[in-house]
Amino acid sequence: MKSAQKEKKSNPQKGKILPADEGTRKAVLDFLKKSLEKSYFDVLLIPAKTPETKSYSWILLKDESLLEQADPLPPVMTVQGGNALSSITKHGDPNLRIGALMRPCEIRAAVELFKLNQIDLDNISLISIDCPGAMPLQEYMVEPDKIADSFKTISEKWEISDTLRPVCQICHRFSLASLLPSSEPESSSDQSERVLPASDLHIGLIGTENKNIFFIPVTDKGKDILEKLGLSPEDSLQDWESKVEEMRKSKLEKKEKFNQEWQNKIEGTDKFVAAFDACINCHNCMRVCPICYCQQCYFDSQFLNLSPGDYLERAEKRGALRFPLDTILFHLGRMSHMVLSCVACGACEDACPMSIPVAQIFTLVGDQTQKDFHYVPGRNRGEPLPLQDFVEDEFGEVETPSEGAEVSTEEAEKNA
Amino acid sequence: MPKALKINKSVDEGIKELLEFLIQNEKIKGVFTLKKMNDEGAVSYSLITDLDELKEAVPLYPFMPVNAGKVLSAFSLQAATKERVAAVLRPCELRAFVELVKRVQGSLENILLISLTCGGVYTLKSLNNGNLAKQLPQYWEAVKKAEIDPDIRVTCRSCENFIPHLADMTVAAVGKKDIDNECVILLNSQKGEDFALNAPGSAITEEMETADTEKLKKLRVEQKEKLFDDFDKNGVGTKAFIKTFAACLGCHACSHACPICFCTLCDFDSKSCEYQPLSFVSELSQKGGLKVPPGNIFFHLGRMTHMAVSCISCGMCSDVCPVNIPVATVFTRVGDSLQKVLDYIPGRDVEEAVPSGTYKEEEFAEVGEQ
Amino acid sequence: MNKENLPRIVGFLCTWCSYTGADLAGTSRMKIPPTIKVIRVMCSGRIDPLFVLKAYLRGADGIMMMGCHPGDCHYQKGNYNARRRYVMLQSIFKTLGLDEDRISLWWVSASEAPRYAQVTNEFSEKIKQMGSNPLREEIFL
Repeated sequence: MKSAQKEKKSNPQKGKILPADEGTRKAVLDFLKKSLEKSYFDVLLIPAKTPETKSYSWILLKDESLLEQADPLPPVMTVQGGNALSSITKHGDPNLRIGALMRPCEIRAAVELFKLNQIDLDNISLISIDCPGAMPLQEYMVEPDKIADSFKTISEKWEISDTLRPVCQICHRFSLASLLPSSEPESSSDQSERVLPASDLHIGLIGTENKNIFFIPVTDKGKDILEKLGLSPEDSLQDWESKVEEMRKSKLEKKEKFNQEWQNKIEGTDKFVAAFDACINCHNCMRVCPICYCQQCYFDSQFLNLSPGDYLERAEKRGALRFPLDTILFHLGRMSHMVLSCVACGACEDACPMSIPVAQIFTLVGDQTQKDFHYVPGRNRGEPLPLQDFVEDEFGEVETPSEGAEVSTEEAEKNA
Repeated sequence: MPKALKINKSVDEGIKELLEFLIQNEKIKGVFTLKKMNDEGAVSYSLITDLDELKEAVPLYPFMPVNAGKVLSAFSLQAATKERVAAVLRPCELRAFVELVKRVQGSLENILLISLTCGGVYTLKSLNNGNLAKQLPQYWEAVKKAEIDPDIRVTCRSCENFIPHLADMTVAAVGKKDIDNECVILLNSQKGEDFALNAPGSAITEEMETADTEKLKKLRVEQKEKLFDDFDKNGVGTKAFIKTFAACLGCHACSHACPICFCTLCDFDSKSCEYQPLSFVSELSQKGGLKVPPGNIFFHLGRMTHMAVSCISCGMCSDVCPVNIPVATVFTRVGDSLQKVLDYIPGRDVEEAVPSGTYKEEEFAEVGEQ
Repeated sequence: MNKENLPRIVGFLCTWCSYTGADLAGTSRMKIPPTIKVIRVMCSGRIDPLFVLKAYLRGADGIMMMGCHPGDCHYQKGNYNARRRYVMLQSIFKTLGLDEDRISLWWVSASEAPRYAQVTNEFSEKIKQMGSNPLREEIFL
């Protein structure tokens, strides 16, 4: 590991710097336009403004003129990009070369969905982009102009504003290519992150003062895109990388505080249950979650339906029975199903009609659980999902009985 | 004049006293009603069997976390309940349950239906703003005066079906000036009268429909006409329709919150409505671009063909929509027109068949013969 | 519309009456417009309103539901259901101001070849006058 890193230090990653005279949005769209013109891609997957309204939708874009309505980084994340992408290849590869430009959490969700056989990535190039975060969706829908203005300032200055969505404020994975081994390895426990990134090409915006954009090839596919478009990656990424590191450190600091704060807020049965007092069991959170891909969610099925006699029996045990049933079972159950792949995108919290901080709770738990498995969802397409894999010799600590309780087989049989 | 029970307590306390009586005297095993979840105003429907737990009940709280029709359907789906229970629910929730019973999604047997002349409910978001507790005095003032509280759901403001004709018992609320001290529970059916036997309170007679309920009905109809007028001016036409649903995420929260949408696996969640690879290719070559995931307008129009005939305008759909699309307004407008054409009022009579899936040999004679 | 500016109309024809009638019109060499794409179903009662919606939203300029006259359904009751579904679709479309005239229902029996020719020509002409369905180009559906 060490020698490989030393090697990479002496051969630092290079990228391509392009001027962004008319702003970064235009520069990105121009690049994408070129990719269509040169037939590198058949279609693009990119957010676009819905006509006559202030909202955004993902579109598969074939016609260049539609790029005028496109926006690589809208102020809100309406549909999670992983969901948009999975709807396209769900029933097979349409054999279209797709260039998908998405936020890092959406890329990571797509990679997790790939591992779950929900996306075919053969003909898809994943293009990630530095993400300043997103604004709370419900607030945006009420005051789109005001929120869009705030977002403009935030994204230009790369502020960690407290008007951003809470999970965005603590997201240190806002720039996928920060996982590139060319950067100085930290002495923190996060070294495992610095393995392989998951997109093919990354667009760097931070550290450019909006004058330039950086193109960083991540895989061979990414290198190929740049080369075919006449952009050889020969420029130094120093400026961008140092700014990414700076931002990353700030975010990690915020994350530490967040983890402590939320640990206190929901630790223990009483507090955890209380967090879901207002939950109406609409299951919106599950529906918008990219990782929750099941056609029929277990918690929507008839498995949990009982006979009237059974309901009454349960009601009598405690004196009352909340309907719809099994609120906490749903949340903990969903957690057990998907939290290892939770990319902390925050779609769940945006969708909750009761403003329950679902994303913050799931991010807290996801973070810890993923650390236990030394797993980072979406960082590496080849990395198996933790529950799909095992090593014969691991987690011995959960198997070893506590002191004083050690009983040999012979003794156990004697005592039986 | 129909019989009624008068309890000298506030409406909230009066209904709770009756429920207590019914449980204590084993006339019912338990009651479905709203119960406090915390001190910040969060409530949930609960099947309460214990008198101590009943103390936390807030039966007439103007909030609908879920349509109670859905709750009763879940309860009686596998079979009719053998033990008697009561349910306190709003007129639209009762109508929703009746529509579900017609579709074999529940049973009315052994359920004592208690409703009220309804002043509406607040939106789900009003709880988030933390204002709900402060709004309650305003709400009850409007109920007493038979006026419309402007902050209730749009569908509630325009609802003329706030009188529960199918309930066994009805708490008289609208237009009752003395609801702080007096609780009048109308006994609308023999079942209601039987359960009220020996109940605390005095026996009186009182009409369910009064000059005040007529007054409120007029006001509500006015609001409905305004709502429909506005829709007919601004929401009609292909462009306007697409604009209304432009922000739709395709999350299907609306259909899952809808009491009438009972299908375990909705058509629009199933494989049959997902795009095959060729569909993407052909639509892209046809249009040059395509919104993904596809099929939002198809979902909304399709859902209309499935359930608009039974839409009881409870407004849950608009409330759960993450992007504030006025789903309930659109579906109410479509439902109203469709129900008129088919001469159908959802929830008015459990014996009346749902118009989709049934037919008359002689009807719409002009169709097809032109 | 395609290059020749002809409307694209989808027809759902029931096997026993309308399809047979259409077939007879064809073998009798009656003049039928080239604008109708026929999809045969066993009974008009098979026509799911979602078929009509799908065709409409994909940009079909016109949709024709066809079946046996009421009382003559090969399966006794199918066309009664079809009739109600058509009435429902009309009501929804009318209320929403979508082009309800693009959706039609015709009873055409197995022997009514001239009627098949007549209604298809009439409807096709009407749709041509209406112009193409704007949803054909609509991306944000």
